[in-house]
Amino acid sequence: MSTTTQTLAGTPWKQGVKDAIPLLGGYIPVAISFGLISVQSGFSVLETILISAFIYAGASQFLFVAMAASGAPLWFVVIMTLLINARHVVYGPNLSPYLNQDKKWLPLMHGLTDQIFALAHARLPQLPDQARIGWYTGAAVLAWLSWIAGTALGAIAGGELTQRWPLINDVLPFALPALFFVLIVPRCNNRLWTLTIALSAVSAVILKVLGFPNVAIPLAALCGAALFYALKNQRNMGGQ
Amino acid sequence: MDMSMWLALVSIAIGTYLIRLLPYIWMKRSLAKRQTEDCIGSMPTWLTILGPTMIAAMFGTSLVPTHSDTLSWLATGVGILITYGVWTRTRSMGLPILCGVVAFGMVTLVF
Repeated sequence: MSTTTQTLAGTPWKQGVKDAIPLLGGYIPVAISFGLISVQSGFSVLETILISAFIYAGASQFLFVAMAASGAPLWFVVIMTLLINARHVVYGPNLSPYLNQDKKWLPLMHGLTDQIFALAHARLPQLPDQARIGWYTGAAVLAWLSWIAGTALGAIAGGELTQRWPLINDVLPFALPALFFVLIVPRCNNRLWTLTIALSAVSAVILKVLGFPNVAIPLAALCGAALFYALKNQRNMGGQ
Repeated sequence: MDMSMWLALVSIAIGTYLIRLLPYIWMKRSLAKRQTEDCIGSMPTWLTILGPTMIAAMFGTSLVPTHSDTLSWLATGVGILITYGVWTRTRSMGLPILCGVVAFGMVTLVF
């Protein structure tokens, strides 16, 4: 990712909102589906909205309502949902060199989802230090509110919405892979990183197709990292 | 929801928040400590590699269509190619994504 500092045309939070708009294409359809499934599983509209507002993690929310509805022991539900989110442990440390000592960063960590991490990892290094918290607040709050609004929409009118406009579910979610692609492709500026990124992405596709969606991200990332070290060691040994 | 379900919900919410918050605080303190000890405040190399590979893995998982048929894969391929084509010209975020979604939608709708 480029580390060239960019000047902002508007205020930082407006730029953050603008940069996060592509996320909505992925967030809203999934949030609508969650709202619909949660209500169908026996949760009320208010409970469904509160789940989205406070847990705010797609995969673990789906797992929470599915396991709770099936009558699984609650201690097991808690452990499984937290295990799914364990991949988030590397996000904060990766962003920390770009964040200042402002205490406002602490509550803002609630908004550090997969997508916000990917966006912030690419954009924060390009922004001046004083603009970063405003930019992150704009991007993270828009994503959070869109997740809550999409959930509410799904809980209240999800069935009718997806029947009347099937494109919401069929086409808009493509915004997510397109977003991840434009965030990661600038990294492919040499052979080492191109192969690392390619292996991570291909491994993730294979793992998901094989039916392991929850471990696909951390496992595929580890595969890519292993290749990175193998190629780097090979290069170092060749240079000796 | 009964009380035990609320308790589970609150535990998951707090746990998820702490998973996001605590590693950040740990790294922030670690970097500050290294700086005060006159060392160069830098992250461990493995962490700097894991960041981009996690994003690449998210790209990979999001690429798999909901309906895994030939048409969906074709639409996905066309969408990514168009996204890449527009990105090479603009080096921006919004327009390549928009064009990619439109191309994906056209293949999905037309065929």
